Amino acid sequence: MTQRMAIENEMSMDPVRDDVQTLLEELFGTPDVPKWPSSLGSSEFAELNRPEWLDRAAGPVGRANDKIERGLYRKHCAHCHALNGDGAGPTAYFQNPYPRDFRRGSFKFKSTPIGQKPTFEDLRNTLKRGLAGTAMPAFESLTSSKAVPSTGDNDASPGEDELDYLVHYVRFLSIRGEVERRLLMKASSQVDLEKGERLYDPKLKGLDATAYAKRMEWVDSNIQDVARSWVVAKEKVLSVHEVKELRFELPDDLKSSRVASFKVSVERGREVFQGATAACSLCHGKEGEGNGSAPDFDEWTKDWTIRAGIDPKDKRAWKVMKPFGALAPHRDPPRNFKHGVFRGGSSPEDIYRRIVGGIEGTPMPSVPIATDHPQGLPIEQVWDLVNFVRSLQYSEVQALSSSSSLDDSKGAK
Amino acid sequence: MVNSGKPNSDNMAPSVARESSKWVRRWAVAMTVMTFPLIWVGGLVTTYDAGMAVPDWPGTYGYNLWLYPWTTWIFGPFDLFVEHGHRLLGTVVGLLAIGLVISAYFWESRRWLFAWSLFVLVAVIAQGVLGGFRVVLDARTMAMVHGCTGPLFFSIATATAVFTSKWWKEEAPNSGKSPIGFKTALFLLAATMCQLVVGAQLRHIQPWAGPRFFMTWVHLHLTLAALVSILVFWVAWRNREAKRGESSGISGPSGLLVLLVLVQLSLGIGTWICNYALPWPGLTVGLAQYTIQAKGFLESWIVTGHQATGSLIIAIATILACRTGRLSYHFPK
Repeated sequence: MTQRMAIENEMSMDPVRDDVQTLLEELFGTPDVPKWPSSLGSSEFAELNRPEWLDRAAGPVGRANDKIERGLYRKHCAHCHALNGDGAGPTAYFQNPYPRDFRRGSFKFKSTPIGQKPTFEDLRNTLKRGLAGTAMPAFESLTSSKAVPSTGDNDASPGEDELDYLVHYVRFLSIRGEVERRLLMKASSQVDLEKGERLYDPKLKGLDATAYAKRMEWVDSNIQDVARSWVVAKEKVLSVHEVKELRFELPDDLKSSRVASFKVSVERGREVFQGATAACSLCHGKEGEGNGSAPDFDEWTKDWTIRAGIDPKDKRAWKVMKPFGALAPHRDPPRNFKHGVFRGGSSPEDIYRRIVGGIEGTPMPSVPIATDHPQGLPIEQVWDLVNFVRSLQYSEVQALSSSSSLDDSKGAK
Repeated sequence: MVNSGKPNSDNMAPSVARESSKWVRRWAVAMTVMTFPLIWVGGLVTTYDAGMAVPDWPGTYGYNLWLYPWTTWIFGPFDLFVEHGHRLLGTVVGLLAIGLVISAYFWESRRWLFAWSLFVLVAVIAQGVLGGFRVVLDARTMAMVHGCTGPLFFSIATATAVFTSKWWKEEAPNSGKSPIGFKTALFLLAATMCQLVVGAQLRHIQPWAGPRFFMTWVHLHLTLAALVSILVFWVAWRNREAKRGESSGISGPSGLLVLLVLVQLSLGIGTWICNYALPWPGLTVGLAQYTIQAKGFLESWIVTGHQATGSLIIAIATILACRTGRLSYHFPK
């Protein structure tokens, strides 16, 4: 019964979906010929918008007579992330984690806090280094993309490479997708389908110009809202509070005179890790092997399961959504630090930001610091935590930590 | 008058006929050998998505194919290098096919083989035109068809090499000598062909296809992999049982098939990891730490190697089918 009702409800949304698709095509063009909405033409959004970025990244793969390569997104990304960036490309089914759905506007690995968009550099870093252990490749090779020797007039702008075009296009798809979500939300809550109302009717322009203008004004303001969140992202970057004596270069410092103070910091970090405030061990396990409590689902999955009244743990229940393209829910397991894999970057600063900023869309929360929150962690403890987490991949540190040599080094300090 | 120089099989001394038909064999073998790198480079075209790196055809950026500046080709972008290289190799194989027809016309005593050589020439031209249309129409579906008919041509070329071989002409057919039936060998060949076609669906999947469409092809690919493997091992086992120290011309290809299937299974797993990673990254530290390099050297060669080995399996299965057919009187001498 529930299943049938859900499908019937979805079917009744078809006219709305058609309207949204018509409107999106009018505003953002098609995957072959995309365009920037006219409402983003002002100087405020200029940094997001350059025609050649779309020209290089979108459309079919290949070179025209000008020998410039186009269709970069389709060549490198669309098979997993899909043409519209919904993360349900043909190869998505077999991947764990699934490819990112850009339409939510949420990205995991970034220098900004949860709720903020990533910066251009954040996305670029993810594309450049890839995500170890997943199907997301490293596109390092695109940073040295070579132009055809016989041309020169249409080459990339100085300092730009193919990776930049891809990042711009991902941002474009994310803006388009988030606008799509907002339009669908408005339609489902404010458009009375039974009375024959429509979200968007091109004929309205001729019949009632004022009503049409009002609706388009609402649409434009939403597009600008979404785009603005990308423009301001660079102002929201989390600052890293440096504590020089607690910043170590690994593995070099394991062989230097700083090894003793590193191990002391690691031991303090272990206490924080297993303590109640940070409570890292609840998910990551006492020794950081990712074997804590049962892993939860990510927000992309919760969007269409828990928030739609479906239990993602119920192997039959989620299949209600299968006809609409839903893929089996995957849990988002906590990282096993002994593997030494940090998908958001492995520098001490990257890990500091992961702790303080959390990982958006996942069960990994942000841990506030004492300067921002009365119950937050002192900055030194965050660095101890960073050192403990980084130390877990080095078996020699683990061996020494559990031996008397550690006590010796403590004594020495 | 045109035929005046052609030897007549009835009045030509056997030693002369045997000696002169060496040239037919040489052309056939050269064509077959050159087809394999052509298939490799064709696979690289798909791996690097380089099919439209040169937007015109039959020329290259307005140049005659052979007159395109070599410096731009060698030192330009890699996709252009691969696509233009594929075209050049294609013309080489085409020229070898022409050489085969000419040599068969003058020196081959078997009329049916001359007709076959004409068929080979038509096949290679058709394959080239198909590749050209893929470019002119910018049709990815045609790229997939071209990718499937390429190994089919490789099979035809291999059969030509078998037909012109000494074994074919000199080995007296001996009914019952083949450890496997002709139909079994044909079934194995058909299964390897089907497997390659299914693999091509995965390689050339369109970005607008849904995940379930891709999943169906993956499951079919795995099922056929199991079927081909079982068949190959069964053929090898039958051959070992029946051989009793006597070579029938089947041992070589069947043994080689076992080896190639083992290599192919390994490459298949490698291809999966290089493209999609395993869904259990925590399984080993190595898998957890491995980051796929987009269009990386190792990744590209594993993926392309999987496709090329598939073609090689088809070629060896062709040898097996031809020889089995010959031993059981299904083919003329």
